[in-house]
Amino acid sequence: MTLVKIDKKQWDKGLEALQKAYHLFGPAKEKDYYSFTSLDAGEQPELGFANSRLSPKAILFPQSDTIIEYSLDENDEDHHIMKPVEKDSSPRAVLGIRPCDAKAVTLVNLNFDTSEYQDPYWVKALEATTFVGLACDEPRNTCFCTSTGCGPYNEEGLDVLLIEGGDHYLAKVLTDKGKALTEAAGWDTPAGDAAEIETRKEAAEAKITSTVEMDNLKNQDLMELHGASFWEDVAFACLNCGTCTYTCPTCWCFDLQDEVHGKAGKRMKNWDSCMFPLFTVHTTGHNPRGTKTQRVRQRFMHKLKYFVDKYDKGIMCVGCGRCVSQCPVNIDIRRVCNLMNSYNAAEATCAVNE
Amino acid sequence: MEHMGIEPDRIHYSWISSAESTKFVEVVKEVTEKVRALGPNTHFAKHEAKVA
Amino acid sequence: MSEYNDKIKEISARLLKECQVDMVIGFRKGSMPMMNEPCFINNAEDTAQLVWDSNCGINLANYLTNRAEKIGIIAKGCDTRNIVTHIIENKISREQLYIIGVPCQGMIDKHKINAMFDGEIQDVAESGQKITVTVDGKANELDKADVLQKNCAVCIHRNPVIFDEMVTDPVEEQKDVDRYEDVRKIEALNPEDKWNFFEELLSPCIRCYACKNACPLCYCPTCFVDESKPQWVGKGQDPTDVRTFHFLRAFHCAGRCTDCGACERACPVGINMRVFTQKLEKDSFEQFGWEAGLTLDVRPPLDTYRPDDPDDFIR
Repeated sequence: MTLVKIDKKQWDKGLEALQKAYHLFGPAKEKDYYSFTSLDAGEQPELGFANSRLSPKAILFPQSDTIIEYSLDENDEDHHIMKPVEKDSSPRAVLGIRPCDAKAVTLVNLNFDTSEYQDPYWVKALEATTFVGLACDEPRNTCFCTSTGCGPYNEEGLDVLLIEGGDHYLAKVLTDKGKALTEAAGWDTPAGDAAEIETRKEAAEAKITSTVEMDNLKNQDLMELHGASFWEDVAFACLNCGTCTYTCPTCWCFDLQDEVHGKAGKRMKNWDSCMFPLFTVHTTGHNPRGTKTQRVRQRFMHKLKYFVDKYDKGIMCVGCGRCVSQCPVNIDIRRVCNLMNSYNAAEATCAVNE
Repeated sequence: MEHMGIEPDRIHYSWISSAESTKFVEVVKEVTEKVRALGPNTHFAKHEAKVA
Repeated sequence: MSEYNDKIKEISARLLKECQVDMVIGFRKGSMPMMNEPCFINNAEDTAQLVWDSNCGINLANYLTNRAEKIGIIAKGCDTRNIVTHIIENKISREQLYIIGVPCQGMIDKHKINAMFDGEIQDVAESGQKITVTVDGKANELDKADVLQKNCAVCIHRNPVIFDEMVTDPVEEQKDVDRYEDVRKIEALNPEDKWNFFEELLSPCIRCYACKNACPLCYCPTCFVDESKPQWVGKGQDPTDVRTFHFLRAFHCAGRCTDCGACERACPVGINMRVFTQKLEKDSFEQFGWEAGLTLDVRPPLDTYRPDDPDDFIR
């Protein structure tokens, strides 16, 4: 790790240089919210944002992505042959990604890049991408990253971590990709004070007062949690919309759809949501997860129990707070996590028997 | 459909009895002329997938 | 509002104690500013959780669909109109319901208030017609009338149209409101501008379906967007598919929509989708003199034939 000081006067010039070597993405204000978009030459990432409405996962894993094309016209030489769509795998850089969203990328990677199977679209996109994170000094009320094994200065998944310093940024260069990027930008003024960052980090962490308890999730009996008495209450308000899953930086489920127009066909990968009935419906018409409560339970059990048990890397949540702040009916994962963590099957059963 | 921005002349409703062949011909002519005057529809049509 | 709250708790506790109902459907305090969570209460002690304030914009009739229990439901004007529609459409029976009517003073628009401040809103409190929004530790006072949900600002049915017991005396209905100003603005546009207006309106849509799922009218076992044989609409982010979804959803609400605003409130990206449903509501009113959900005694215009139905559109 090296520490570089980027004078804000050098910032624009660096970006200009980066535009030549990378396809840049960064936060931009659209209407009343921020989103990560492609930055054209001269466009600045708007780094004064708290966080984007949708997570930047869409840069690696677009909501709707054509992956295969084919022709059904028998006059074509290559009819009925599935052809992968060439994707742009030239270097790209995401500027200003928050540490929570960067950690989320490492969690999604556990699913898309395993020793057995690799999703080539994800793997190639990830390989091509350099993540320049921006530490959070002003977390939101709904941020609870410090208790999910992440934090406002967390470095997992990042290549460079930027720390706002008034007239400059401090840049912690964390990986070779990060080194290549800072060199390409011409940001090479060494900075000395790593201790200052530590102090800033502690101050930022102290600002995060919202927490979840997750220490006991691993010890909980899976079947007892599954059968817990609180699910009806937790799920009642749920509309079964996809807001939580679509805004979540760690939700990775997708659906494959073919669309044929005339004799030209394409196969698309679209985000899917475990909240939708269609997610699990069988071709017979039977739906093993046919009720709202079952679907809500699935979402929380996956994030807070199955994932914990399968990967032993904590919960599948980085505490970004998007689902909390955007849920139309205020279902709060923090409350559910605490309920699951503290659930005592024996007590709950007694209460019912009384 | 008109409210969403499809040109009113593209949309026609008519009631024609099976005995009203003349009316049928008239209506078809009128519809064809009006739609032809508007030119090809660009809205509310998905672009086809391109095949390499 | 405390008067409302006390009475709601008292009635709910009584109904549960006397076993007149199996559950009461209402709201409990949410964990976010301007948010309450729909909930059910099934024992009298828990009725203390129930709240009523200007953040109860979700339509609770949505939670009645196909339920078998005997239910007490806390319902404002628009909720009761959707309950009427539910009863007409056989999604619940009148005998199953004990309707606790709440004269409504309008709900506040969380999208609007969020957009008014740059910083993060820590707290929103209300007292009478004043709303106090705390942002970055600083309190800002707003007039409730300025931050009402758009549908509430033009509502002319604030009082429950059907109930078993009222929480308080009826409120005065708003008079001389121009309900369709926004629709007329769109009607006045030329086709190209209309097209572009909707293109812009729908551009942030992520197809989470919160709008249709928050709507009490949307209860089909399989929604047309989920049908695969045939597949009516593509499932990607193509603007044609997104538009198809929104317009077809709205069409399904023709002559049924009560303009409760739940769709718009639920939308996580703040799309003003009432411009679809309001057009249909306006047409229903102008062509059939119909306002949905006011009475159990008349069939809605779109499920019945009358010789005087307008037919100018047939050329």
